[in-house]
Order: sequence, then structure tokens, then C-alpha cells
Amino acid sequence: MSDAPGTTVVAGRGAPPAKTALRPAWPPRPRTYLWIAGSVLLLALPFYLDRFWLQAGLFAMAAAIGAIGINMLTGSTGQLSMGHAFFLAVGAYGYCAFAGDGGDELTGLGLPTAVAAVLAVALAGLAGGLFSPIAGRLRGAYLGIATLALIFIGQHVLFNAHDLTGGFNGRDVPPLNILGFRFDDSELVVAAIPFGSAEKLWYAGLVLLAGCALFARGVLRGRPGRAMNVIRDHRIAAGVMGVPVARYRAAAFVLSSMYAGLAGVLLALVFQRTVPDYFGMVLSLEYLAMIVIGGLGSVAGAVVGAAFVSLLPQVLTRYSDALPLVAESGTGGVAPGEAARYLYGAAVVAVVLFLPGGLIRLVTRRTAPPKHPDKPTPGTPGPSGEER
Amino acid sequence: MTAVPALEVTGLTVRFAGLTALDAVDFRVAPGTVHAVIGPNGAGKSTCFNVLSGVYRAASGSVRLGDEELTGLPPHRIAALGVARTFQNLALPPTATVADSLLLGRHRLTRTGFVAAGLRLPSALREERRHRERVREIAQFVGLGDALDRPAGSLPYGAQKLAELARALCMEPSLLLLDEPVAGMTADERRRTAAVIAGVRDSLGISIVLVEHDMGVVMRLADTVTVLDFGRRIADGTPAAVQNDPAVVRAYLGEDAEEPS
Ligand SMILES: Nc1ncnc2c1ncn2[C@@H]1O[C@H](COP(=O)(O)OP(=O)(O)OP(=O)(O)O)[C@@H](O)[C@H]1O
Ligand SMILES: [Mg+2]
Repeated sequence: MSDAPGTTVVAGRGAPPAKTALRPAWPPRPRTYLWIAGSVLLLALPFYLDRFWLQAGLFAMAAAIGAIGINMLTGSTGQLSMGHAFFLAVGAYGYCAFAGDGGDELTGLGLPTAVAAVLAVALAGLAGGLFSPIAGRLRGAYLGIATLALIFIGQHVLFNAHDLTGGFNGRDVPPLNILGFRFDDSELVVAAIPFGSAEKLWYAGLVLLAGCALFARGVLRGRPGRAMNVIRDHRIAAGVMGVPVARYRAAAFVLSSMYAGLAGVLLALVFQRTVPDYFGMVLSLEYLAMIVIGGLGSVAGAVVGAAFVSLLPQVLTRYSDALPLVAESGTGGVAPGEAARYLYGAAVVAVVLFLPGGLIRLVTRRTAPPKHPDKPTPGTPGPSGEER
Repeated sequence: MTAVPALEVTGLTVRFAGLTALDAVDFRVAPGTVHAVIGPNGAGKSTCFNVLSGVYRAASGSVRLGDEELTGLPPHRIAALGVARTFQNLALPPTATVADSLLLGRHRLTRTGFVAAGLRLPSALREERRHRERVREIAQFVGLGDALDRPAGSLPYGAQKLAELARALCMEPSLLLLDEPVAGMTADERRRTAAVIAGVRDSLGISIVLVEHDMGVVMRLADTVTVLDFGRRIADGTPAAVQNDPAVVRAYLGEDAEEPS
């Protein structure tokens, strides 16, 4: 085997033993405590939050899953997508169609809901795969415009394919039911707290988000992630390094679509109804805003950005009385949703100007290892012997 | 990499809208030798590399590596045959660590796909560990052992060029194409890089095609030299013979061929 490590390249220059500065596993570093505290808090929240905030949190989790997906495509592989909302719609409506029992006169295969959820994600991936040959031919703004077409096609189908989508009014979402455990409002009391759909879905959402985040991190830090990043940074070098560029671009598209599909399924379950209006161009732009604000190419950045963009309108809605200028919609002031859009529009501009790398940089910058004092810092590439 | 194949370039012609960048160029690189391609600016040296690595299409002519015809193959298929190259202008992601950049060089030698990487399957972890080890060896070989965990962009320019050379070496190539490997380096870095290239030739026995303006480096390293001017081959032979060729002296417009242009 030619790739066996140890084929001699080392001429002379006795290789010093690799310094393996392994830190002891105990005591754990402060970061570990932070993770534990955060997890406990997230697990305990359903016992303290009312339904409004639980739903807001669930929206944020679904958005985070979708944002991780588009960040792998746009942030890590450099393929601009304005069509993310389309794949969310495929997931949401796909779930309804697979799981629906046809009771509401709409197409429904009546499959077990867990199977329907998996199939909906697969369907979204398939849709991404079908689009990827087009994506493989286009780059940059042209790809963005081509993906925009998906939104228009999607909206047209959602409004007009009545039998499948319910048209303007949308369709009801069958509650998730995994092996007899129903994620709906049927009575369940845990520690004197009645558990409704929001409480139950909260835990499902946490598990899904954690799984999706870990998977994406593994992908991005491993061999596929390195190939995706070089396609973004130096497309020509990528091919020369042996990366089949077209195949990886297609794979990134499929993977990102599957994440969008799952986000769509979760959103549908939380909303309990899917309506076509929601899956428009604004949603696609919101996802782009999330990854720009949070941090392009980073899983944590996608989660932070998703939380910021999806919780902001909820915060403004809940506290509109206390905020200047913001008012209930229709009473003269700026409606909370609108105010939120202004705010994260401003946030996008601010991040692009002052915080390239996104909010997540605020965290990682602090914990980054200290720079070598004897070497120039980034941004000062002084080629001292430059000749030409 | 059992037997290093010979590289045979015949009648290679490349045209860009009205400009003939390469005009029926022939040369042969014997297995395990260092072959230099030199010539004034715009002679077509980088264009030649771009054809050899599949980035540009040739208008006509052939490039054979052993039994394989390279013209018409996409870049990743050529890489799979064991052809590695560096770029005249760095193509090294500035924010990725040196280790990650070198691991990218292992791409063709590794198998981990999306599912295995996402689920961190034992096979993926094992492969990663094995190849990180090899990356460390190669980094130490070029003298970048201490820089592995630093972002490539934070290194001095010369070290970045070395990192790109190391990344190409990580592909375990049988043919290595180096486009001006010492350009922009300090005298000290030049010496070190030349030593690394000599070390590669001596210990790996692979073929190297070297494009370089630094005649000192060319004369020291090359076994054979091809001289291009305006896309045409004007000389071919041993360094000493080429150096005294009147056509070559003329091409460099009377400049002393010992000096870097
Ligand atoms: N993609 C391209 N499109 C059009 N013309 C090109 C392209 N690439 C190279 N050329 C032209 O082909 C000719 C040869 O360029 P090339 O880069 O191969 O020169 P070179 O020998 O590498 O020069 P240098 O020593 O400056 O690197 C030049 O006239 C250049 O302008
Ligand atoms: Mg050149």
C-alpha cells in the first residue's frame, strides 16, 4: 500500500519525538463545566417556561438545524443558496403527506409518523440531489439567482397543488408518535407539571439539534470538511489536490437540503399547521442572515445566529409594551416582526463591517491559544526577500 | 508508488483567444530526475503546469505519464495518478491550520466519507490518526514541525511556500510539479527549500519538474533543462549546455543567465 505512513521521506534530520502535550482528563477545564451547566439548564427549562417561550425555543432549535445545513453549503463550501426555504417546505409538507391519514381530504399515505419524518428528510435530500447538477454548473451570484427559482416554483406549487398542500390555508400536521409515545397535548404529568406538545417536543428538539450539530462538526472537522473548505477557498487547487469538486459540491447540497428538511419537519410539528406563506424568500434570507451573524462555516456560529434571528421577534413581541417605538401590529408603531427585521438587518451590516467571522468569534477569540510572540501576526505577510 | 513512470510531453499546444501560450512543446522527464522548465516572464511555464495538472485543456499534443494519457483527464483524476503540484501564487487557505492543509494533501490516500466522518466511526478516527502521524513526519522533514497547529496565514511568506510544498509531498506523488518554489523567499529560506527539494529527489526517487527563475537553484538541482520563450522550446539539455546556448542568452536579452530575472 502506497499510503502506509512511514515510507521513508525523512532524509537525515532525526525526527524529534512528537510532543504530545496531553492535558489530564481531570480536573475538567472550565469549558466542560459550562457545557454541563448549559445542558442542565436546557433540560430543566420545560419545568419553568410557559408555552410561549417553549415554542420560541423550539423555533430556534429548528432554525438552528436548518442554519447548520445552509452553513455547510454556503459557509463551508462557498455555494450561495437562496433556496433554503424550499427544502424546508419539502420537509414540512413531505412529512404531512407521508403521515397524513387522508381525513382532511388531502393526500396522505398514512405512514407511521416516525417513518414519515425520516422519509421527509430523505425527500428533501432527493430534491437537493436533483438540483445539484444545476448547482454544479453555476457559481457565486449566478447560483444564488438559480436557487431563487426554487422559491418561486415552491411557492407556486404550495399555493396551487391543493390536494397535496391544502393551498393557501395549508394543512394540519399529524402529531409525532414514536412507538406509542405521542408528542401532542394528551395528558402527561411530570413532577406536577402538565406536559403538552411543546414540553415533549422540547426534548425531541434538543436531541435532534445535538445530533445534527455533532454530525456536522464531525463532517466539517474531518476529511469531507477539509475538501469542502478548499473548494470554497481555492477551487482550482481543490481539484489538483485530488478532490472531485463536482461530487463534493453535490454532496454538500444534498446534506444541506436534508438538514433543511429536518428543520421543516420540526417546525411543522411545533406549528401544528403548515402554511405556504411561511416558506417564502424572506425565510431564505433569514437563514442567510443567521449564518452571517453567527459565523460562516461554523456549527456553533449557525446555532448562535439561529437563536439570535429567531428569538429576536419573540422577545420584541413579548416586551413590545416596554420598548419605545415598538407596538402591537396595527396600532401605529413599528410591529415587532418588522422591528426584529430592522434589527437583524442592522446586525448583519454590523457583523460584516466590524466582526468578520460572526458572533461566534467573540467566544473563540477569548479562548484561542496565545500567538507565538516571535512570529508575525496574521495580516502581515512580510516576504522579506521578495524580488518581483 | 512502485515504479516511477516517465513523463512524455509531445507537441503540446495551448491557445488563449488569439495567443499561443504553448507552441508544439516537447520534453521528456526521465523517472527520478529533476527537470527544470525555465524562460522569461510569460514564456508559458505556468500554462504548461496547468495542462499537466488538468486545469487547462490543450489545443493539441499529448502528455503521457507512463501508460496514461493525461490530456482530457479532470484534475482530480490526474492527482489520483500521483501528480502533485504547487502554485506560483499561494493556494493555501490562510485560516486553516498547517496540519489541516497538509491533511488535505492526504485526500486521495484516504477514504472517510460524510457518514463515517459525521458519526466519527472508528475507521474514520483510525485513518485520521494514522495520517496525522505521517503529516507530522512530512512537516518535520520540510522544517515546519513546530508550525502544525498554527493558521497557515500567520506564517511568514517563505514558510507558507514550504507548507504548500509539504502539502504536495503529502500526496505521496510520483511526479511533483513545483512552480517557482523559492520565489519571494529570503536567501536563507531559499537554501533550506533547495535542500528539501534535493532531499526529496534523493530519498523518494520521484520525478520533479521545476519552474524557477533563480538560476542558482536551477543549476544546482536540475538534471535536465527545457527553455521556453513565447511558448516555444528554444533549448533542451543539461544545465551546462543550455546555459551556453546562444538562443537562450538571446532570449534573456543579453541578461546574464546567472542572475534571477
Ligand atoms: N487563463 C489565461 N487566459 C489568457 N491568457 C493566459 C491565461 N493564462 C496564461 N495566459 C497567457 O499565456 C502566456 C503564458 O503565461 P504563463 O503564466 O504560462 O507564463 P509563465 O512562463 O509562467 O510566466 P511567469 O514567469 O511570469 O510566471 C502569457 O502571455 C499569459 O498572459
Ligand atoms: Mg508562471
